[in-house]
Amino acid sequence: MRKVNEWVRLLKNIAILGGIGLVAFLIYRYFANSNNDTLIDRTPIHIESIKTIAEISTVSYKDEVVIDTVERYKEIPSITEDPFSGPTAVYNRYIKRRLTLIVKGELRYGIDITDGNFKIEQNTDTIWLNLPKAKVLDINVTPSETEIFEEIGNWPDYVTTNLESKAKVKLRKSADKLQLSIKAEENARKLFNQLIITEKKLIVNFD
Amino acid sequence: MRQWLPFITLLLVLISSCGEDPKELPVPNIHEVKDIGILSTSEYTVGKVIRLNDPPEEWYKYGERKILISCKAKIKAGVDLSKLNEGDIKVAGKTIEIILPPAEITSFTMDPKDIHTEMESITGFRSGFTQKDKNDFLRQGEASIREDIMETNILQKAERDARKFLKDFYSEMGFEEIIIKHTPYEKSE
Repeated sequence: MRKVNEWVRLLKNIAILGGIGLVAFLIYRYFANSNNDTLIDRTPIHIESIKTIAEISTVSYKDEVVIDTVERYKEIPSITEDPFSGPTAVYNRYIKRRLTLIVKGELRYGIDITDGNFKIEQNTDTIWLNLPKAKVLDINVTPSETEIFEEIGNWPDYVTTNLESKAKVKLRKSADKLQLSIKAEENARKLFNQLIITEKKLIVNFD
Repeated sequence: MRQWLPFITLLLVLISSCGEDPKELPVPNIHEVKDIGILSTSEYTVGKVIRLNDPPEEWYKYGERKILISCKAKIKAGVDLSKLNEGDIKVAGKTIEIILPPAEITSFTMDPKDIHTEMESITGFRSGFTQKDKNDFLRQGEASIREDIMETNILQKAERDARKFLKDFYSEMGFEEIIIKHTPYEKSE
């Protein structure tokens, strides 16, 4: 009889454990973000403007930057002070909120002759091609190349926008250190030498 | 009370496992500098409203989530002049013939400043949208823009504009007859 009671107790314990596990699973599924399979509705694009341009990109610079913002608790919280944060706060080493982004971007350097701001002069043996100075033509940053690496707590949209803008500035600064405008002008010179097939001497100037 | 201790411990462990461990900040990859030769001739600015209606699909979820995000993309198209092969430019006296590679999308960007959450609605016991969620929706929106832009005449316009630019350029150089074709298909002027 005692053995039967022990078996009943064991089964009861297993059932309770299973119940707790199920409840924990349901709580997790309820609050967990499962957007991987959430698809947006099909909506059309609307064209806002169409422009004719003439930009010759001669250097591409690709880089990846990490931008982070952290808000810590002023004092180390105890579970009694902050009962809702519970063990998570302990795990997160007193970080109240954190947002970390990894942004991959591409900068394009080249010359912009959209306004026809170039001049060709020639005599019997020389062609002079005067082009504007090389500059940054594009800073390409897209959501597909942006990763929200860590997100603890709730963050408003403007914080993400600010971080992404900072990432663009950081990308630009890293590229500027390499003096890519000079390289872009060298490459433009090479490109025009390929495009202009002539027996005359070709001189390409940038000003 | 003592017999409940293992259950309480297990419950605490299970709840705590839902929390996130702090991650080490990733080390960025080394940058890449590449020589290119792209002539962009057309620029389109397009807008899109990303719409998501997320009704409860599981029986234990109650409430709805809806969001509307507006965004803009700036797309450039043109020809990759670095794809010109030897023999693609032929000169005979005052005549020049060029076989250009076909037009392609040369640049695509979505400025974060042009992305706005227009409406967000959470009802019942549903959780709000995180920044990760929104970025996921924007990725889908970006893919959709990339697909839909091909339905516009952006590539045809880019080819037309490239031909016009090169004609003006070579005419300035003194050429009298300028013939420009595109590969793999030919298009008459």
